[in-house]
Amino acid sequence: MSSSNRKPFFLWRHLNKLRWLVLSTVFAMLVILPYVHVYQNYVSAHAYDLLAPSEQRFYDLMQTLTEPLTDDPAEDLDAIKGNTWSGTFWGFKLSDPLAAAGQMAASLKVFGPFLLTALIPILATLLLGRFYCGWICPATFLYELNSNLAVWLQKLGVRTGHRHLDRRLKYVVLALGLVLSAATGAVLVAAIYPPAIIGREIYYAVALGGFGAGAVFFVGTLLFDLLVARRGFCRYLCPGGALYSLLGRYRLFRIQRIVENCNDCAKCNAVCEFGLDPLRDGFGQECNNCSACIAVCPTDAMTFRVRFTDQPDQGPGHLGRQYRKQHAGEGRS
Amino acid sequence: MQLIAAASTLAAAPAGAAATPRLRYLRPPGSRREPEFLARCIRCGQCGEICPNRCISYFHGENGLASLDTPYIIPRDKGCILCMKCGQVCPTGAIAPIERTAEAIMAGVRMGRAHVDTRLCLSYQGQTCGVCYRACPLPDVALYVGMLEQPHVTDKCVGCGLCERACIQMPQAIRIIPDYS
Repeated sequence: MSSSNRKPFFLWRHLNKLRWLVLSTVFAMLVILPYVHVYQNYVSAHAYDLLAPSEQRFYDLMQTLTEPLTDDPAEDLDAIKGNTWSGTFWGFKLSDPLAAAGQMAASLKVFGPFLLTALIPILATLLLGRFYCGWICPATFLYELNSNLAVWLQKLGVRTGHRHLDRRLKYVVLALGLVLSAATGAVLVAAIYPPAIIGREIYYAVALGGFGAGAVFFVGTLLFDLLVARRGFCRYLCPGGALYSLLGRYRLFRIQRIVENCNDCAKCNAVCEFGLDPLRDGFGQECNNCSACIAVCPTDAMTFRVRFTDQPDQGPGHLGRQYRKQHAGEGRS
Repeated sequence: MQLIAAASTLAAAPAGAAATPRLRYLRPPGSRREPEFLARCIRCGQCGEICPNRCISYFHGENGLASLDTPYIIPRDKGCILCMKCGQVCPTGAIAPIERTAEAIMAGVRMGRAHVDTRLCLSYQGQTCGVCYRACPLPDVALYVGMLEQPHVTDKCVGCGLCERACIQMPQAIRIIPDYS
């Protein structure tokens, strides 16, 4: 039972930084692509002389930025389009599994080519669980910043919400969304799913001159997270999160506690955005593999393992006071 | 009223009934018929993002809850140049992919049909104009001109709206009657 052979891979401590890099890259792309679209319109209109001075500055900037990447602006600027809800990369299409589910519910039939675009995300979710929620979702980017804001507000004496609702609520939201989509014949889940809303609304704001109704909904979810429950929408209400939780229940890559290294400091529980219980091995289907608990752990007791199920509760950590009290006398010579 | 309309759209259950439009708008070229379009469109916004002409806008609820965030074109603001890129990028086939040839477009695109108001059209008032004819992407096929460049629309018209955009009369003498069927 020596702890030396149970050391986690040393780079996993830095996965959280990589995750923030991915999150901010995805979000930056959502902002940049609408600007590319506007620039593309100027290019195809051949109307540089007719642009306002500010638009000309924008044109020059975009030209400088995109010139090394594009031989033929009319073609190459078309290469990446869309958002995380559904996107095109050089003709290769990827879609959100919830989009596929919602579309199937609304039309009550399976449209093969579209389902195929959701295949890679579905397979990845089967392997990695709710990784989309932690690693890609543009709403997560804002929600985690919102959580940080809540901490600052608490320091200033503002009371923020820490209610706990029933996690199964989001499955109800998912089922209700799909049933309503089927009843109306329109993909209504797209209207209550934050990443889809953000992708659209950034495009509306940049290219079409203003936010739409979805922005109001999204600000509502931010306030809900701030005033009612920390990360409340993701934890309790998000239909996409519900779908990925179901798909990722038997995921292959999971975070596990190495009980020999654990000293019961409970920093992992404090840092967990989804309010899980890593300290007592309580991850379940909700864990989004964000690796924040790995990064925060002072004794390297958190690691990724390839397993289909969680460990049952392994008891108090072996470096903690409780374990040492229980096992006083053992191993002493 | 908006709420009641939205609620009635919601209540108007399976497919068909949801498509009673209150506004005059066009769907992007190659769109399926309205009920199937609404069931297929996942509101990803890629059609608007790839449109080089920026003629595609998105509903915010003014056309009912069912068509929230779906693409539309107001031809008087900006007509469709029939580049057919939106169909290529649409992941769900709500906008069918159609090749950019005159034959394929005439066979596959049914946005609407142009209608000439002869009481407003300059060419019918003794002056020659012919702007709509010059704007038409399918001249002599969809729209031909007779004496004094008086426009006549044939049943080959796909309803792109470039003629309505180009019309120099205010209000416009030629307009697209959308095909929602």
